[in-house]
Amino acid sequence: MGSPKALLEWHGSTLVRRVAGIVARGVDGPVVLVRAPGQALGCLPDSFDVLDDVEEGKGPLGGLCVGLEALADRGEIAYVSSTDAPLLHPAFVRRVVGEVSEEIDACVPYVRGFRQPLAAAYRVSLAPLVADLLAADRLRPSFLLEACRWSDLDDVALLADPDVARFDPGLDSVTNLNNQADYEAARAGPAPEVQVECFGVLRAPGRRGRVTIHAATLGSAADAVGVPLNPHVVAALNGDQISRDPEEPLAQGDVVSFVSAEAGG
Amino acid sequence: MTAPTLAGLREKAPAGYFGVAAAVDVGTGITTPVELPATVLRGYLGGAGLGTWLMHHLAPVGVDPLAPDAPLAFVFSPLVGTPLTTSAKFAVVAKSPLTGMLTDALASSHFAIAGKRTGYDAIVIRGSSERPVVLLMDGDGSRLEDAKSLWGLSAAEAEASLRERLGKGWQIAAIGPAGERQVRFATISHDGRHAGRGGLGAVMGAKCLKAVAVRAATKVASFDPKGVVEAARALSTLSFGPATAKYRELGTLANLLAFNALSTLPTRNFQEATFADAPRLSAEHLSQLSGVVRSGCASCTIGCEHIYPGLGGKNVRVEYENVFALGPLCGVSDPDAVLEASARCDAFGIDTISAGGTIAWAMECVERGLIDAEWLRFGDGAALLRAIDEIGSRRGLGALLAEGSRRAAEHVGGGSEAFACHVKGLELPGYEPRTLQAMALGLAVNARGADHNRSGAYEADLSGRHDRLAGGASHVAAAIESEDRAAIMDSMILCKFLRGVFVEPYEEWASLLRLVTGWDVTGDELRRTAARIVLAKRLFNLREGWAREDDWLPGRFLSESLELESGRTATLSAETLREMIDAYYVARGLDQEGTPSSERLSELGLIELVS
Repeated sequence: MGSPKALLEWHGSTLVRRVAGIVARGVDGPVVLVRAPGQALGCLPDSFDVLDDVEEGKGPLGGLCVGLEALADRGEIAYVSSTDAPLLHPAFVRRVVGEVSEEIDACVPYVRGFRQPLAAAYRVSLAPLVADLLAADRLRPSFLLEACRWSDLDDVALLADPDVARFDPGLDSVTNLNNQADYEAARAGPAPEVQVECFGVLRAPGRRGRVTIHAATLGSAADAVGVPLNPHVVAALNGDQISRDPEEPLAQGDVVSFVSAEAGG
Repeated sequence: MTAPTLAGLREKAPAGYFGVAAAVDVGTGITTPVELPATVLRGYLGGAGLGTWLMHHLAPVGVDPLAPDAPLAFVFSPLVGTPLTTSAKFAVVAKSPLTGMLTDALASSHFAIAGKRTGYDAIVIRGSSERPVVLLMDGDGSRLEDAKSLWGLSAAEAEASLRERLGKGWQIAAIGPAGERQVRFATISHDGRHAGRGGLGAVMGAKCLKAVAVRAATKVASFDPKGVVEAARALSTLSFGPATAKYRELGTLANLLAFNALSTLPTRNFQEATFADAPRLSAEHLSQLSGVVRSGCASCTIGCEHIYPGLGGKNVRVEYENVFALGPLCGVSDPDAVLEASARCDAFGIDTISAGGTIAWAMECVERGLIDAEWLRFGDGAALLRAIDEIGSRRGLGALLAEGSRRAAEHVGGGSEAFACHVKGLELPGYEPRTLQAMALGLAVNARGADHNRSGAYEADLSGRHDRLAGGASHVAAAIESEDRAAIMDSMILCKFLRGVFVEPYEEWASLLRLVTGWDVTGDELRRTAARIVLAKRLFNLREGWAREDDWLPGRFLSESLELESGRTATLSAETLREMIDAYYVARGLDQEGTPSSERLSELGLIELVS
């Protein structure tokens, strides 16, 4: 595709920044990026941990092992994604992660006729098992599933979740960009539809309530409503996460609130 | 050896100071000078810091805050009287009748300038008069005048009457009827601005002192007057920038809709964190409904005050805190009712936050069948007004509610203590601790109690620097930093609405102090000063019986979660809060019981306060 997939441009950001940011929003916990040793990933927030794959050529289980080991003591369940899934939605992540339970070690969606091991959730405690499989050179994800308790979620089950149905009705979260044509087709699509509201002095005269725009990042949303993302402004995503990072990814259905950083009274 | 004369004390004072406080006994009318050595002034600066030092030295251990022996200090600062914007502020400091611990509250404007120019860095009032009096201080010294005709008037009416009686040049701080009746959250006000929190008005009322009137008699010398003027000009320019735009253009009420969007707007006694009718009470809405007038304190270039016409043509000064407390917190969405409630609190002279917090608690008690007052329901504006009237006059249910939510809950029982939303007896301001977890720590550990002016840690929560729903190490650091900065700003004194204009605050504040005082003070020294003042407040509380369990939040916040629009649940566990408090103690040099080590006391020059 001419350049590393992770750094492909995506509405003013990169694929890796977008996917990592969406996963972060979905899991409400730490994010680990596993790269080939020395691979450039561009400028990323300090909150993301970047680790090198221990041994190249081990396929997805190699990266999974590094990631799960890094998350030991920091969480129980990990969502795993490839970096070429820019249409991933936090609601999809939450639904898949939520399927892992006391009795289930992994949830691997079965969407569009395929099992999706790189759009799946795994219990962090599976790390030793994955390491054993790597040592035995059993590198296919299906070997992991054979050795643990897992479930799948098909299209119907996923779309039974009201948030997934509302924000990702085509289950585009599992769309991978396998070649240049995939990338160009996906990139040509509109940015997510989001709602933006400005408060206090940031509100344009005469404008009240929310406006609907298309924006893939916080920076694009700020530009669209004429708000400068300077130290005196912060944004809240869906009334929750606060950011002023212009590359913060937005997803379909997000509500962005721009407020004065001088919060007190 | 002869005692130093007043002139002698003033002679050796650093620039920006007079080096002396006036201790006035309103029972005897005798005024005694209290020397303020240069080391004390440099170590505590003025305002809240110097007031804390004065309380250590002048308040008898274990004194009843409403007893004659309890001192009440009006404390000025090195910057007041200079042209530095927002510096015309004064602190009122005492042992609080609401919390039983130290309280300091700030108010603004001409009283600060005239008070400082009486020639004292502080006026400390002790004793108790047998009849209502007003204390006058000017170049002729201090004297008491009869205030019988003023008793029963609102503070504003008393001020107006005294101005007429005394003539030009007098500035007055007064109490309303609630102070006279010793409502435990009564205020002291000057020109409509209140030293609001902690019941200072009740302390003044207990002394039968209706008002303090001051008139300038001398000037305050700065070390480098020309440098001060240049610095004032630069600071004024900055004060017109984006960091203060919110305060200028909409006032603090701009918080209301933003906080509602962020699930940090306490509603119905903290049972919820969003209020569906918030838009009706917003600055954006109110300013369209009726003409709003902007105003500001003396020596201020920000002009944050937004005054709305209320019922009957009354002018109502509207801030986020009074609208939050008398609106969403009580479930009231009628703007007329909320503005009128605010006006009545002003007229009685009661703290709107404590009033709203206590009434909201009572409304929930009624809902749960713990208080027999069917008329008092969430959302009922008329009931809110009746409750305020009863509190201000200590009638009916008001006799109980005038004691504040902690004492009222102890009296009512039935588990109501868990939803009496106070810390150390001081009702919570309009910041939801479960969705602002650095602020949760700030509220829990602050010496004054649950307070947003001595800890502004909410700002870190809303900065995106940490996850505001997951309290941890960064929240602790943010809470400490915020407390320290507040300690300096409240002691120098500069208005906190100016805080956003400083890039390197400690260095810039030190630079201002160098110009005014001539000291070679540095930013690092001010950081130590901040730590000293914060710890000095804690030491006062310790000697008054503070215990570790006082640094805690009410049960509601630790047992009930909030569901956010994002799908996340905001939970603050007792374990998380305990861990943050433990870490706060370590960082402050305290042991796990919250007591400072002797090494820490020595480091900060605090040994004299405990010996």
